[in-house]
Amino acid sequence: MIDFEIGDELELVRATAREFADDHLRPTLRQHESTRALSDATRAAFRDIGFATLEWPESLGGSGLGGLARFIVLEELAAADPGATLALDPLGPALYALVECGGEAALERFGTPLADGETARSVLVWCGEGCRAKLEFGDDAVSGAIPWLPADAAAQLVLLDADGAHVVSEGFTLEPARGAGLRAAGAASVTLDRAPIAASYPGGEAAARAAARGRLYTAAMLVGIARESADYSRAYALDRVTFGKPIAHHQALAFLIADMATATDSARLAGWDAAWRLDSGHGAEEACATAFIEAAEQAMYVTPNGVQILGGHGFMQDHPVEKMMREARALSLLFGGVDAARNTAISELIESDGPVQLTWEAPDAGRTG
Amino acid sequence: MRVELDEATRRRVEGIRMLGRAQVRPLGLEADRLGRPIPPDHEFFELLLKIGQGRTRWSGEQDPAAEPAARDESDRPELKATIGTSRALLAVAEELSYWDRGVAVSLPGPGLGEPPIIGMGTPDQKERFLRPFIDPGKPRWGSFAMTEPGAGSDVAAIRTVCRKDGDHWVLNGAKSFAANASRADWILVWATIDRNLGREGHRAFVIEQGTPGLGDFHVEKKMGLKAYESTSFTMRDCRVPADSLLGSDEHYARKAGFKGAMKSFNSTRPLVAAMAVGMGRAAFDEALAFAKEQDLLGDVRVRDRLERIRRRLRVARLLCWRAAWLADHSRPNIVEASMSKAVAPAVALEAASLGMELLGEVGARGEHLIEKLFRDVKAMDIVEGTGQIQRIVMARQLVQLPR
Repeated sequence: MIDFEIGDELELVRATAREFADDHLRPTLRQHESTRALSDATRAAFRDIGFATLEWPESLGGSGLGGLARFIVLEELAAADPGATLALDPLGPALYALVECGGEAALERFGTPLADGETARSVLVWCGEGCRAKLEFGDDAVSGAIPWLPADAAAQLVLLDADGAHVVSEGFTLEPARGAGLRAAGAASVTLDRAPIAASYPGGEAAARAAARGRLYTAAMLVGIARESADYSRAYALDRVTFGKPIAHHQALAFLIADMATATDSARLAGWDAAWRLDSGHGAEEACATAFIEAAEQAMYVTPNGVQILGGHGFMQDHPVEKMMREARALSLLFGGVDAARNTAISELIESDGPVQLTWEAPDAGRTG
Repeated sequence: MRVELDEATRRRVEGIRMLGRAQVRPLGLEADRLGRPIPPDHEFFELLLKIGQGRTRWSGEQDPAAEPAARDESDRPELKATIGTSRALLAVAEELSYWDRGVAVSLPGPGLGEPPIIGMGTPDQKERFLRPFIDPGKPRWGSFAMTEPGAGSDVAAIRTVCRKDGDHWVLNGAKSFAANASRADWILVWATIDRNLGREGHRAFVIEQGTPGLGDFHVEKKMGLKAYESTSFTMRDCRVPADSLLGSDEHYARKAGFKGAMKSFNSTRPLVAAMAVGMGRAAFDEALAFAKEQDLLGDVRVRDRLERIRRRLRVARLLCWRAAWLADHSRPNIVEASMSKAVAPAVALEAASLGMELLGEVGARGEHLIEKLFRDVKAMDIVEGTGQIQRIVMARQLVQLPR
């Protein structure tokens, strides 16, 4: 039966993530942004908790947890500092391209050396629909340009498109960029000059699963950002007095604040729904794409309004709401952005003959015409 | 975390699907065409009784300790686990509304008056008003009347007055838009002992049909949802026995009177929201089928909007289920219930409106199911607290918005 209980284990995971975010990320978010670096202590704490290998199989030293666990952790971390969240995760969504397309062997080969978080990250590059990267694949090398990656350095690039994944470990250079958001993770444009392909893992279905999990990863972060912006601006609105009362008590703002809370919860529920489908072995590509679109749309509704509620103060960098707005915008450009996700979300609906599958309808459900 | 129905609920939903396709939707379309409610003596209502519908969820047990069991128990052991949970009721209501929400409201049974009677009623009142619904020999209805011409969302502003006169109460006032009122055995009427007291002055009465002074029944003409009657009526020096006052005087001394009403509202918000989800699903399915038949899906504008509607319907449903899940675990759900109610009707209207756009002139002819749904669904953002009231309720919780 329908159940939103996440269980004691995941409650503990959530509490641990929240505590880490409060101790290591929130107090230094502007410092992380300007220096584009995290302290060794923060990296060590992250590694010791085991966040990096949360979803790794136990055979490779991971915790073997699923998409819902990852979602919950990412929401907590991104609520504090989205850029740092990316910077801390040695593989990020590249994990999914490796595991889905290349299996545990690929993860062991390319992921294990990075698991301690000491070296540069493995960075996923979306080369499928909607990407702005221009890459030309030869038989054993790839050349071209990637306009932006949220990284200052990369141990390897995992190139994912609709047909599979390729790994390149050399032959590319990163040119630092200012970055619209997520600067704590770095920002660079990338040039590949006959970069040798270290491994190729063809497979359309595996690539679709990898993209789905990557979108869910991004969606979780967007939910965290939206939540933080909504909470922060709500607290401000209770504090700030105009025309004789807290601005939160002017109905125009009271309604807006209620709608921002609703938006955040909507995005989270769509994400949990997709994570459950993923973890329980249902097909989840459509659900993950849907969760990504919902999270992107709601985050782009909430975070500009977070700035709006603070007014002029919101525009200043003394408050984090402007950062949340920029980072929500940057994050939701990943994986081809919402338009590519829309095509994934709608495709099976167009192909199917049945009625709308919201989540559980029996296949014979439906209309009479 | 789990986002699927259990087997028992799924089977119930499938049963409703069959009933819906064969009976409910055709009846709803017919009522819409004829512009009048389904008559009380319609054979459909008899059929429902035969298949076990139209009954009270009151167990007939007077021991209050036994009452919560009514939520989780059934005489069919395989259904025992979940039948009667808010989640199961939501799934059923959504599916029924998928086929026709107007017909769903017309179904026999004690209706919205049931929760206050179970919650506040004396043993004698439960016997009198609910016992006949345990195994009714004919279709019976109860009705619930709070809304007045001048008091909708602002329920504290009701003007129907009651005054004690010996061992009777005398009521005067007018009620609006009460579902099934003219055909009901009794109507649960809210009145006030003093208009200046606000909610503290509220009293609930169960008035039986035929009571002198109860009359002027007028079945309203509506934009949609025509299958059930929305009825206005008046009470003119309507004398009812003292024991028609719902509950005992202590209820009202504890200021529980208004809470009795609001409690029933709160528990039904996700339910009404789920009905909107069902209506939105129906509009979506029809719109998608039409788009396929007419080869409209090559248009990326059409695809994008269908994607949006499906996604928003799913989110609305998840919001409903979460609120119901909280209710099933007796956890506070004020914000969550209002979220579901604020979101679902707007999404459902969007679904129907998009459907009209895809139909184009075909929709403008006024004969398509989507056109009916477009009219029907607007009510969902008004009943059980408008979208605006939901935001006020949420804001009271989130930012302590003053009353």
